[in-house]
Amino acid sequence: MLESPSHSDGDLLRLLSRGDKEAFVQFYRRHQGAVYRFALQMSGRAEIAEEVTQDVFMVVMRASGQYDEQRGSVLGYLYGIARNVMLRALERERPYAAALDDGEGGPASQLAMGQDLAAELANNERVEILRKAVLALPPAYREAVVLCDLHEMDYADAAVTLNCPVGTIRSRLHRGRALLLEKMRAAERCPA
Amino acid sequence: MTEDESELLDGLRQLAADRQQAPSCVEERLLAAFERHHRKRRLLLWLPAGSIAAAAAAVLLFGLHPAQFHPAPAAALVASAGAADEDTEGVFYPLPEAEALPPVENALVVRVEVPVSSLRLMGVPVSEDNASANVQADVLLGQDGLARGVRLVE
Repeated sequence: MLESPSHSDGDLLRLLSRGDKEAFVQFYRRHQGAVYRFALQMSGRAEIAEEVTQDVFMVVMRASGQYDEQRGSVLGYLYGIARNVMLRALERERPYAAALDDGEGGPASQLAMGQDLAAELANNERVEILRKAVLALPPAYREAVVLCDLHEMDYADAAVTLNCPVGTIRSRLHRGRALLLEKMRAAERCPA
Repeated sequence: MTEDESELLDGLRQLAADRQQAPSCVEERLLAAFERHHRKRRLLLWLPAGSIAAAAAAVLLFGLHPAQFHPAPAAALVASAGAADEDTEGVFYPLPEAEALPPVENALVVRVEVPVSSLRLMGVPVSEDNASANVQADVLLGQDGLARGVRLVE
C-alpha cells in the first residue's frame, strides 16, 4: 500500500500491476485529465472522450508491464493508447470531425480574461471558433496540433507517440497551424 | 511573426489552459474493474498452489503414500487411460463426492500407493485376498484440485 504521494510514474505502474489499488488511483488521478482532454480535443465529443479515458486506463490496468521508459514518457505512452482506442471508437462513429460551421458547439470556453463583457464575449467566441477549427483539421494535422500546441509535448515525444519521424511532426504542425489560420480568417470574414 | 499568427498562438494557449477532467463515474467504473481484474488474477495465481494442497490433502485423507507424481494434461489423459488398459481396465472409478463437483476441464493425475482396503472404501471393487496389500493407483484431480476418481495401476 502507498504511503508517499510522490511516487514516480514507473513506481506507480509497478505497484498497480501487483494489484495496489492506491497506486492505480494515484496514477489515474495524475493523468486522467490529460487523456480526457486529448480525446475531447481530438473527437469533440464528451462521450467518446469518456469512453477513451476508461479504455486507456483499462489497458494500463491489464498491461502496465508493456510500458518501456526507454521509448518515451508515460504521457506519450498514454496518448499512444488513447490514439488507438479513439481511432477504433471513431471508426464506429463517423463522421470523424465536427464541421467548422456547425452551429452547435461544446460548452463555451470559460477562459476569457478580458475586462469588459464585449471583449470577453469576443474572446470566448474566438476561442470557440478555434476549438472547432482544430476539430475540423485533418486527423494527422490535428494530432500534431493537439499534442504539441495544446498538450505542450515536445516534438521527439510526439514523434514516438504518433510513430513517425520528428521532421514529419514539424511539417504537420506547420501545415496544421496554417490551416487553422485560414479557417480563423474565413470565420472572421463570414461570421455565423 | 504576423499579428494573425500571434493571435492564433494566443488562442491555442487559451485552449491549452482548459482543465477539463473526466467525469467521476469513469474513476468509479475503473476501480470496480480493477478489483475484479485483480481478484481474478489472485485466484489464478493461487489455483496451482491450491491444487497441490488439495492433492496433498487427498493423500492424507485417503491414507495414501505418494509414490510418484505424474502430472498429465487433460489431452494426454485419454492416451494415459488407454495405456492403462494393459494393467487395469483403465477406468477411473468416480469418488462418491465427485458427482456434486463441476465437470473436469483440466485434469491432473497423481500416482500414489494405497492400501487395498482404502480402495474398497472408495467404492473400487478389489479382491478380498489382497485386502492387506498395497497397490499403486492414479487419483484424478480436477481443475479445482479436488479428487474426482481413482484408477488401479496394478
